[in-house]
Amino acid sequence: MTTTTLAPAVSVEGLTKRYGKFTAVDNVSFHVESNKIYGLLGRNGAGKTTIMQLLTGQQFATSGEISVFGDYPAENARVLQQICFIKEAQKYPDTFKVKHVLASAPWFFENWDADFADRLVDDFRLPMKRDVKKVSRGQLSAIGVIVGLASRAPLTFFDEPYLGLDAVARQTFYDRLLEDFAEHPRTVILSTHLIDEVSNLLEHVLVIDEGRIIIDQDAEELRGSASTVVGKATDVDAFVAGRDVLHREGIGGLASVTVSGLSAAERRTAADAGLELAPVSLQQLIVRKTSGSGAAAQSDWSESA
Amino acid sequence: MTTTAIERETTPMTSTPAMTRPLPSPFARIWNVVRLHLVDRRTYIGIPWIIVAFAFLISIVLSNIIGFVTGDGLGGAEATANQRYSWAVLAPQWYLIVVAVQSIGLTFPFALGFSVTRRDFYLGTSLMFVLISAFNAVAFAVLTQIEKVTDGWWMGTYMFNALWFGVDGWYVDLLSFFVLQLLVFFIGASVTTIYMRWRIVGMLVFAITVAVVVLGTLSLITFTSSWPAVATWFGQQGIAGIFLWLLVPTVLAAVGGYVTLRRATPKN
Repeated sequence: MTTTTLAPAVSVEGLTKRYGKFTAVDNVSFHVESNKIYGLLGRNGAGKTTIMQLLTGQQFATSGEISVFGDYPAENARVLQQICFIKEAQKYPDTFKVKHVLASAPWFFENWDADFADRLVDDFRLPMKRDVKKVSRGQLSAIGVIVGLASRAPLTFFDEPYLGLDAVARQTFYDRLLEDFAEHPRTVILSTHLIDEVSNLLEHVLVIDEGRIIIDQDAEELRGSASTVVGKATDVDAFVAGRDVLHREGIGGLASVTVSGLSAAERRTAADAGLELAPVSLQQLIVRKTSGSGAAAQSDWSESA
Repeated sequence: MTTTAIERETTPMTSTPAMTRPLPSPFARIWNVVRLHLVDRRTYIGIPWIIVAFAFLISIVLSNIIGFVTGDGLGGAEATANQRYSWAVLAPQWYLIVVAVQSIGLTFPFALGFSVTRRDFYLGTSLMFVLISAFNAVAFAVLTQIEKVTDGWWMGTYMFNALWFGVDGWYVDLLSFFVLQLLVFFIGASVTTIYMRWRIVGMLVFAITVAVVVLGTLSLITFTSSWPAVATWFGQQGIAGIFLWLLVPTVLAAVGGYVTLRRATPKN
């Protein structure tokens, strides 16, 4: 109410996508505000890629409404010209060399910055003359990252863009994204498994599980929405009794329990009781909230992290 | 004041952020797809002409061998007669049909990643097919004429002046090569759109349909003893007539490919 907000870049109402009997996206509704960095998080097969394909017109919805910059995106040139979708499994023409990808990209992205692209090629040490078929997995990801950043599309999707990128290259990606975002604000939707790595980048978090949005929250709020209480098991149990317990661990007489939503007064009570309060990382929080199937879920997250 | 603020807040779905630059015109978008296909010049221009050059070299060597064996030497009656049945002039077509398949199988998913609409992609691809077909038709018609004028490159060896080429006027060569090239492109592309849209199930249905139609037609002609009539009909059409008729499957493939691709989705 107080601020004049920009129109949302994306609005989705009751969106469903079925492949035969399998429901990949199940009656999902959300908005994406302009000029923010969103994290679209979830386990493998949760429906992240399908949502991105629906928003970029690569797939057709079974039912529900999608509005991207005010219109249905599929086959809509006006909308699509403002979108760049970088996906992990991008196909390239058979004989293409890296230079062919970067030579043709400016024809399709109005805001393409050639100097920025050149700098990124140096940053990622991308061999321009090599066949796309022959570059390493990391270099293939780097091509996508460079196109995604240098295109400066008003709405940019990165679908797990880091596959095969080493830690240095991933950090380069995060750094360049933040620097360029500061100068050229745009809407970025990033899907990733490496939640803690991008935790500082994200302004808003959408968590999808089995085709449904289970968390749609400001990243800062989400981080503050839970805390871990550590102390003597008896004290901890007394304190968390009746609260929403997300997770508990214990060794001997000590316990560490993650609970949601503690007010300032409650924090003081905990401190007075001699309990220690630790923040919960975004990754832990999401693992706890999506691990419906218990240990299996957790190991899936930690494997990919 | 308050009304406008409320209005703005209640109609967020219809308002759009201002673009920094004007959007390209519809033709510019289609032309960009043509450029995308040709950014790697080897695909549609370099490799086909390397194949033509090799086929030409092989033709020369073979005609020399035949000329030596028959004792006629180059340009001997037998060597020249046999060269009329050489398919060397069509050598690049086998490669180009694969290229047409890849234009949909690989370049289409790539272009979608560059936010091209299916419509713009197909129209741009079709325009490129027409341009390359026109260029190849002119080139082959000219080469056929040069070959005739120079009596087989001054050494009595023929490659372009073969099959139905060089039989009627140069404009028939131009027409027949243009239609043939376009047919090769659109058959390769349109059959691949079936795969892009319905995957392997679509391909099976298509293959079975084609087999049924071909077998049905052959049976019908045979059982009604119409083969002489069919032969007469083809004879009456002449080379130009047959290639004008081939425009029908070409256009059908082109339109069918467009309709199919409009709802096609790349693989995950």
